[in-house]
Amino acid sequence: MAGIVCAIRGGPSSQPTIDRAIQLAKEEDLQIHFLYVVNLDFLAHTNKSRVQTLDKEMHQMGEFILISAQDRAMSRGIHADGVVRKGVIADEIISLARDVEADYVILGSPQVETEANVFTRQRMEAFSQRISDESGAEVVLVEDQTA
Amino acid sequence: MKRRWSSLLAAAFLAVLAGLMAWPGGGTAAQADQGPVLVGFIHNAQNQPVAGVHVQLVSSKTGTSVADTQSQPDGRFALQIEHHLQGQLEIKADREHFESITIPVSQTLLTELQGGQSIEIPTITLTRRIGISFWIATAIFLLVLVLIAMEGLQNTLAVLVGTTLVFGFSYLGSAINPDLFIFNFSRALEFIDWNVIFLIMGMMIVIAVVERTGLFQWLGYFAYRVSRGKAWLMVPILMVTAGVASAFLDNVTTMLLMTPISIQIAMALGIQPLALLMPEVLGSNVIGISTLIGTPTNILIGSAGKISFSDFLINLTPGVLMSMVGLIIYCEWIYWKELRAATHPSPTLLEMLEENAQITEPDNLKKAGVVGAGMIVLFVTGEFFHMVPSVTALMGATALLLWIGPDIEEMIEAVDWTTLVFFIGLFVVVGAIQEVGLVDLIAQGIGHLVGENLLLTTMAIIWSSALLSTVIANIPFTAAMLPVIAFLSGTVPGASDKVLYYSLSVGSAMGGNGSLIGASANLVTAGIAERAGYPISYMYFLKRGFPALLITVALSTLWLYFHFLP
Repeated sequence: MAGIVCAIRGGPSSQPTIDRAIQLAKEEDLQIHFLYVVNLDFLAHTNKSRVQTLDKEMHQMGEFILISAQDRAMSRGIHADGVVRKGVIADEIISLARDVEADYVILGSPQVETEANVFTRQRMEAFSQRISDESGAEVVLVEDQTA
Repeated sequence: MKRRWSSLLAAAFLAVLAGLMAWPGGGTAAQADQGPVLVGFIHNAQNQPVAGVHVQLVSSKTGTSVADTQSQPDGRFALQIEHHLQGQLEIKADREHFESITIPVSQTLLTELQGGQSIEIPTITLTRRIGISFWIATAIFLLVLVLIAMEGLQNTLAVLVGTTLVFGFSYLGSAINPDLFIFNFSRALEFIDWNVIFLIMGMMIVIAVVERTGLFQWLGYFAYRVSRGKAWLMVPILMVTAGVASAFLDNVTTMLLMTPISIQIAMALGIQPLALLMPEVLGSNVIGISTLIGTPTNILIGSAGKISFSDFLINLTPGVLMSMVGLIIYCEWIYWKELRAATHPSPTLLEMLEENAQITEPDNLKKAGVVGAGMIVLFVTGEFFHMVPSVTALMGATALLLWIGPDIEEMIEAVDWTTLVFFIGLFVVVGAIQEVGLVDLIAQGIGHLVGENLLLTTMAIIWSSALLSTVIANIPFTAAMLPVIAFLSGTVPGASDKVLYYSLSVGSAMGGNGSLIGASANLVTAGIAERAGYPISYMYFLKRGFPALLITVALSTLWLYFHFLP
């Protein structure tokens, strides 16, 4: 297997990332593996015990978001599948990139820089390097046009 | 088989617990007829009873104690005289955090006592002593509020830190300086409202069963079906659906489970998900206050103010309906552009949506429906049997565990112990500021400001609690305000019909709509929306939520004015 791993979160800020993945897939004739990572850290401060309750719902929502992205890719003639995983976002991107032996990993730039956001600009370069080192994939960063 | 037995055991435990809680109080033992009794009451400066006062009848000459006792929760004390009385006597009343008082017994009363006649003396009023423990308890309470507000620590950990500091000063600190004493462990336990703890626990078990059935997701999809995909119509249906679910279960669970499906509906229709989510969460915060069990603040208020399930329905629902009409119009207005942008739904997404919104456990849902209906009947009629709501919740939880026989370990995990510990710790920390007199001072201050004007007092409670709830967590705020409300209800003419409790309920819950941090349901909704790529910033929520607060609180104020005030 090979292809492009495209980690998305959904919403308008993911659209440039999806479009870039589609464009690259066309240029390189590759399959896209869209990835949605379920991460419920936001419940840690108030509702930690509800993580299990929400797990299934977030998984379904992730599938829904991926289906939208897959539809978009397929309407432009690109074969795409979707994977929902649970855990730390950075680790899951690397893990999928390894699993599918990805040629490229497409990442969106952060919309808002916060401590909680794993994709702060400062971390992005180190993270890109880590992906390259650990998976052998080339990392493509996409600037968010909606920010 | 093992699962079945463990479910039965857990159910039996809950049943016994419910029985124990329903059992009428044993009452005090009949007083032995051994001699004359000197009785009286001890109040504070706000005319509230003071419990735990060490009352002694002592000889004025030698200081020898002739009789001693402790005042009861209603402030009453009874000194049993077992010895022959000689010489001048005086009554001494001592209690931590109050100035000690000595009152001479008049010759007339003394003669009556010596003649074997029981007497009642006028109420003794104790004055607060503002010592170092007052400032320490106040600082600890503020520290807990700040830690919660700034998310410096997880909420439960924050109150545990507060509780530990209170006991640390009371036990270890007072060994160095006795003035550091706040209260001991057994006194602290008196401040814990076990009706609240068991009501929340029972409802958590009921909710844990219901949430697994897929009901919330189905409700979201139901709103889509009924509105036939018309977004403008779907908004009020979703608001009312989420609100009613919040009123009978709880709004955090409702939003936790309805937010993902609402996002999917919005995506399928091609509209901005926040145009559905914001009205939903605002509506759930508003309608939630119609019932005793709809919000944690109502559970606190109902238990402290002895307000029944039906009292909440009768006295708040009309105001809530008025507020909802205003809120729906407001939401349609602010999101009109987004709602009109709905496109033709994607067939693939709709198919998936329908699949995700299935009732997954129909049998359990039917059983939960039957038990839920029984619980509502008991909540409404329970007051006739003097049955506290926590007993109904425990009975409902027991019935569901027996009937459905779920994995008991899963059910125990579903109980949010963290929240229960949070409430227990909170009661102790708030109890500490009550013990040292901070709450009395606040009550006195508000009393001076509003005088005996009921309208002014009602307005002050509603609007101050609404505005404060936008910046501080409304649960600790409500817990701290309840003794103040109890005081004002007893001193402001016309407030005895609990209008001030309803005012606090309206203010603290609807105030949650004013900012992102105002209610847990807001944070949960924002967290899930952000995970779907639709972040709700603090300012975004404030711009849309604060006007909603003004509209809904104003309309509810209007209702309370016409319903309660002459």
